[in-house]
Amino acid sequence: MWEFRDKVSVAGVGYSKLSRRPAESLASLTRDAVDAALADAGLTRADLDGIATSPSMPRYGGLRGATEGVDVVTPWHLSEMLHVTEQINWTGSTNGMVTQSLIEGAMAIAAGVCKNVIVYRALHVPEGRYINFEGRYAVGTDQFVAPFGFSMPPAWAAVIMRRYFELYGYTRADFARFIADNRANTCLNPNGYWREKPMVREDYLNARMIADPMSILDCDIPVDGACALLLTSTERARDLRQPPALLSGFAASTFPHPTGTIMTLEDLWEGCEQTARRLWESSGLGPQDIDNAHLYDGFSIFVPIWLEGLGILPRGEGMAFLRDGHGALGGKLPINTGGGALGEGRLHGMSHMAEAVLQVTGRAGARQVPGAKRGVATISNGLVKATAFIFSGDS
Amino acid sequence: MVEELDAEALRPIPYPDELTQGFWDGVRAHRLCIQRCAKCRHWNHVPTITCYACASEDLAFEPVSGKATVHSWTALIDSPGPGFRNMLPLIVGIVELVEQPRLFLTTNLVNVDPERLKLGMPVEVTYEQLTEDCFLPQFQPVA
Repeated sequence: MWEFRDKVSVAGVGYSKLSRRPAESLASLTRDAVDAALADAGLTRADLDGIATSPSMPRYGGLRGATEGVDVVTPWHLSEMLHVTEQINWTGSTNGMVTQSLIEGAMAIAAGVCKNVIVYRALHVPEGRYINFEGRYAVGTDQFVAPFGFSMPPAWAAVIMRRYFELYGYTRADFARFIADNRANTCLNPNGYWREKPMVREDYLNARMIADPMSILDCDIPVDGACALLLTSTERARDLRQPPALLSGFAASTFPHPTGTIMTLEDLWEGCEQTARRLWESSGLGPQDIDNAHLYDGFSIFVPIWLEGLGILPRGEGMAFLRDGHGALGGKLPINTGGGALGEGRLHGMSHMAEAVLQVTGRAGARQVPGAKRGVATISNGLVKATAFIFSGDS
Repeated sequence: MVEELDAEALRPIPYPDELTQGFWDGVRAHRLCIQRCAKCRHWNHVPTITCYACASEDLAFEPVSGKATVHSWTALIDSPGPGFRNMLPLIVGIVELVEQPRLFLTTNLVNVDPERLKLGMPVEVTYEQLTEDCFLPQFQPVA
């Protein structure tokens, strides 16, 4: 078990407006989210001494924007904007998923380097098509996939979904309830991008296909915006404005990608299983202890694979669990109660963690899971750079 | 680089490098050659500096049978780039070469009715000319 289990907490959650192509710059949205997280905790900028993120633009095949304040917001730029450069003891900037930054931030607090750390993710929707392979030549590892048209992430997820469907006899009809329920959750979330657009199962079945069997509604919705979490010691958090969400354990995957293709179903299962082993070992908990789950849904098919990889269900049964409504609010294990990346917006797992925090502290409003005590958040697909966390209510 | 999007737009052309030249040279000669470790005999794809199994750097390209099975596939409906617009739906297949478990190759599945695709379906390599001196290894059902 992790020596610092339950000793670091999330004490504040902050969101900017989540929209597409707003007038505000990414820098300004990030500042909004950070100020909101500090205010939520009852702190001010003067209390901040650590900042961490992954300042990258996830763009495939096209130009990768890197303009500070427009495409990305680095921790150094943020500290200048907030006028806190003199007081920041530590900054973290990871090439992995941003949720690695939460692990690093927790370590900075456990090590006594920082008292109050902001972990944030700022994401910008670039102009034009997000995933157009625009280059004339395919270099590096792209040369083995892009000439075949395999350069867009929805297609990578589609081969996973296809194999899963074929192995167990599922179709998109089996997925429709979960997708529609997820949208209903989004409509209860004031931050949700699709909160004013309810949908029914038929909308999913009729959705525009991207890479069969992946439709547009199986892809998360890219947004301009930011989400920030304020980390501090549990001891200090107990004196702050909100009840703390205790970090009870975490895990980071080191499971490698396959080499001849981007990912396979078997690799994802094994990667999720490796992550889960580390998560349960770190926390001393198991699947039976979890009462709300926030499973990464950059692509919808990752949700049943995480259910299985975490050991909540055997392989192949995740989809049936969702089909039968057990993941809905009021179901056996409410999943993505805030609408996840599919409904709330793409923030690379920050919102999955934020939602777990809100649930276990009883702050999830109309979508509150009654008595929620322990939430799991998983991020990415189980392969290297994926992470998972358990947040607990304070007893 | 961003190219003008015109009707003549090409699919992305593989750009061989020191590591991958042997693969593309083989394909151009209509031979599917995969990098293999002289020390532990592990097949490596995509080509690598150090063997994925034993980290040896003693690696060379050897011909394979060109036989594989379908591991998974997708039919692209949305174009992944300007050069694919007239090819939709385009079937991308992940095939597993018979030489070694999990020796995957990304390809297009050609000369096949998408409705008849099945996991484990036997397929074999065929070659498609992309430019004057560039061919792609594609896979089709075994006759």
